[in-house]
Amino acid sequence: MLLQILVSGFVLGCVYGLIALGYSLIYKSSGLMNFVQGDVLTLGAFLGYTFYSLLGLPYWLSLICTVLTAFVFGLFMEKFVIRKLLRKSVLAIYIVLATIAIQYILQNAIQAIWSTKMLNYPQIFPVPSVSVAGIMVQSESIFCIVMSFVCMAGLQFFMKYTRFGTAMRAAAMDAKAAQACGINTSLSTGISWGIAAGMAALAGILLGPIYGVFIMLGSTIGRKGFAGAIMGGYGNMYGAIVGGILLGLVETLVAGYLSSTYKDMIAYALLLLFLFVKPTGIFNERAITE
Amino acid sequence: MEKNKKLPVAKIALCMVLLALPFLFTAVGFQYGVLVCCFAFLYIIAVSGLDIDFGYCGQISMGHAAFFAIGAYGSVMLHQYFHIPIIFTMVIATVLAAAVGAVIAYPASKLVFHFLSLATIAFGEIVYSLLLNSPKGVTGNAVGMFTDSINLLGFSLSSNESFYYFGLACTAIFLMAKWLMVNSKVGRAWVAIRENPHAAGGMGINVTKYKVMAFAVSAFYTGFAGAMYAHLVRYIGPDTFTQKQSVMFVTMMLFGGTGSILGPIVGAVLVFSITEGLRMFEQYQMLIYGALLLVVIVALPGGVYGEMKKLAGKLLQKGKGGEKSAA
Amino acid sequence: MVKRVLLEIDNLCLSFGGLKATNDVTMHMEQKKINGIIGPNGAGKTTFFNQISGVYKPDSGSIVFDGKRIDGLKPFQINEAGIARTYQVINLFKKMSVIENVMVGMHPRLKANFFDSLLHNKKQKEEEAKAREKALDLLDFVGLKEYAYAQAGALSYGQQRLLEIVRGLASDPKLILLDEPAAGMNSTEKVELNVLLRQILERGVTILIVEHDMKLMMDISDRIFVLNYGKKLAEGTPAEVQKNPEVIAAYLGGDEE
Repeated sequence: MLLQILVSGFVLGCVYGLIALGYSLIYKSSGLMNFVQGDVLTLGAFLGYTFYSLLGLPYWLSLICTVLTAFVFGLFMEKFVIRKLLRKSVLAIYIVLATIAIQYILQNAIQAIWSTKMLNYPQIFPVPSVSVAGIMVQSESIFCIVMSFVCMAGLQFFMKYTRFGTAMRAAAMDAKAAQACGINTSLSTGISWGIAAGMAALAGILLGPIYGVFIMLGSTIGRKGFAGAIMGGYGNMYGAIVGGILLGLVETLVAGYLSSTYKDMIAYALLLLFLFVKPTGIFNERAITE
Repeated sequence: MEKNKKLPVAKIALCMVLLALPFLFTAVGFQYGVLVCCFAFLYIIAVSGLDIDFGYCGQISMGHAAFFAIGAYGSVMLHQYFHIPIIFTMVIATVLAAAVGAVIAYPASKLVFHFLSLATIAFGEIVYSLLLNSPKGVTGNAVGMFTDSINLLGFSLSSNESFYYFGLACTAIFLMAKWLMVNSKVGRAWVAIRENPHAAGGMGINVTKYKVMAFAVSAFYTGFAGAMYAHLVRYIGPDTFTQKQSVMFVTMMLFGGTGSILGPIVGAVLVFSITEGLRMFEQYQMLIYGALLLVVIVALPGGVYGEMKKLAGKLLQKGKGGEKSAA
Repeated sequence: MVKRVLLEIDNLCLSFGGLKATNDVTMHMEQKKINGIIGPNGAGKTTFFNQISGVYKPDSGSIVFDGKRIDGLKPFQINEAGIARTYQVINLFKKMSVIENVMVGMHPRLKANFFDSLLHNKKQKEEEAKAREKALDLLDFVGLKEYAYAQAGALSYGQQRLLEIVRGLASDPKLILLDEPAAGMNSTEKVELNVLLRQILERGVTILIVEHDMKLMMDISDRIFVLNYGKKLAEGTPAEVQKNPEVIAAYLGGDEE
């Protein structure tokens, strides 16, 4: 029982981690919050379903296509909406509202294009479940955990060891100084939004086969993902992963042992608790106090 | 000065029109218009309250649906379980909303913009899931609750027309109160905090106290609007009090323009009419609404009323500049 | 007659990490005098100011104002106690009118509570009318009366500096802290500032001023305190300070701009 719960908690935690990582990335690069993440997850799940199940592409190719589509979506969103607003130097609330407007459009568009019914992925792996430490675990769950970690590690590597990642970190630290060094900060900001969207879509195509695909799949996950980011320390990469996984575990444990009715509330209660008591999170990230 | 003499005439005309409006609607056979006005009134009150918090004091709230819910559910439950006459339940529930607002605002007053919006979203979600999964089902959970209309001194406000006059009176009182507050020491302190919280503290303003005050007053407004909603519709269910409702309040406020008396009125009326109008598009409602919202944000960042004022200001200045150069 | 000490600062210390921004500073300032603080860049003058006005809490030591301990109080409480301040970087409420800025400055002296403000009762109306009149008088005092209803952000730089001072005076302080009031002013404006400071003194307000302009400081200060690397180097009349070899060394050897 406990092991089963821990595995599903870990799956959910990895998804929260990917979402929270996107939040941190965007906050670091542009000091903003993006409320579309969760719905990009939904979009990813539907796109993956379309590529894999309707168009008959191999799963790995569907995955790549989905992530790339979402990447372009994030990039365009930054370029054509967010940057336009920033140039007008509007109040921050307008940017928040703009991302919410995009969220509405996306939700409604997904509903119009696909359906309001729940869709199910056909089986992906030849073996439906694997025995781990005496319990049977869905192959998709293992794949979700593995892929999430690969993606997180890949991002860390990209940010730390590639020229482009270094440029992005520089732009996040001090945009003006970075510009003076010849770094194209607007490109690096756009790419952060793209990567964030790509990760959300990845979470969607990983989660879709486990949870099923439906319109509201992502929106609550997206909102609760903020709790993960805050718990880890908003803007901190490691914090996002640790906070996300922790949130997934806590939520699943509460649902499993206490009551499933209050599982949504746990995430929001944790969010408030951290904001009010320890706003810098587990990793003591200072970005929040600025 | 001439303007001041003219103004009462315009005011009296406006009062006459507002008083006669239900009859006009009836005369042209558009009964539905009265109901739309009733909704518009309660939205004006809710959004005016939010404007006190954000437009004047500079604190965002993305969770005001929670106060709307406390006002609505509070009033309905007090009536149902304790048999208190409805008008009193409305007042008690509204005070309760303000008290909860103050409790939340105290720790939240330290948070900067983005994190304040997250905190208020989380608060809204917690209240929403409490409505949906209440202890012993006192809120009726997903089913919601039915209730009666307001009974004022033995006179039932069950018809839309009678509610119209009640709503009109309430709106007038709440707007008047807002005007009085913002044109006083309290209002100055709020704006000072919005403009520069550090300097406001240096000028002897207890920033935390005034922030909590603005938030609680704002919750009071929205709470009362919630209670009005409950007894106008006579049914409440959790779906009315979601995150989308909070966003709707913010949209109305920004659509009209912040930090003014008229802005929220313009915003509430326009956005409510638009969403009503979009109902006919059924499944594309949110898509059109979102697109419209996006266009307005990009094109009119000062809100409709704000942009109009700016335009008027520019024209006036041109006029004045012309006079000066002529002299 | 015994000279009364208005502000007593004893053994004040504050460090940021390893840096001792204020290191065991003791200063006693008399009532109705112009007290100046000078020191090379990075001497810790603004940090010192920020401890008096409550922005930073000192690590140790005490600040006694008018017989009452004020260290560790919040900025608004310190203002209520009778210390007003201006800022090195202009910190006006830009979208409010000039007169409203002054009236915000009066905030702690206005007695109306929330319900008086909500009802606009007789007490509140009378108080507001008096406050408005007083604000206009104060604006007249510095020659800004004609701009009373203009937006504060629309004033010229020098006017904004003056407005900062009037806004500080509006709370009827016993002591006003001026953080580089002459920064960015031209020579005419500086002469006017000199006159204004003396007029403020005549109103019975004690002044504590930080300023880089040596000529101005030597001219107006009754007593000068010299800070260097967070420590008090010297104090005395302008003439005494100018002759002090340590001060000369600090300025010549230091990073004077």
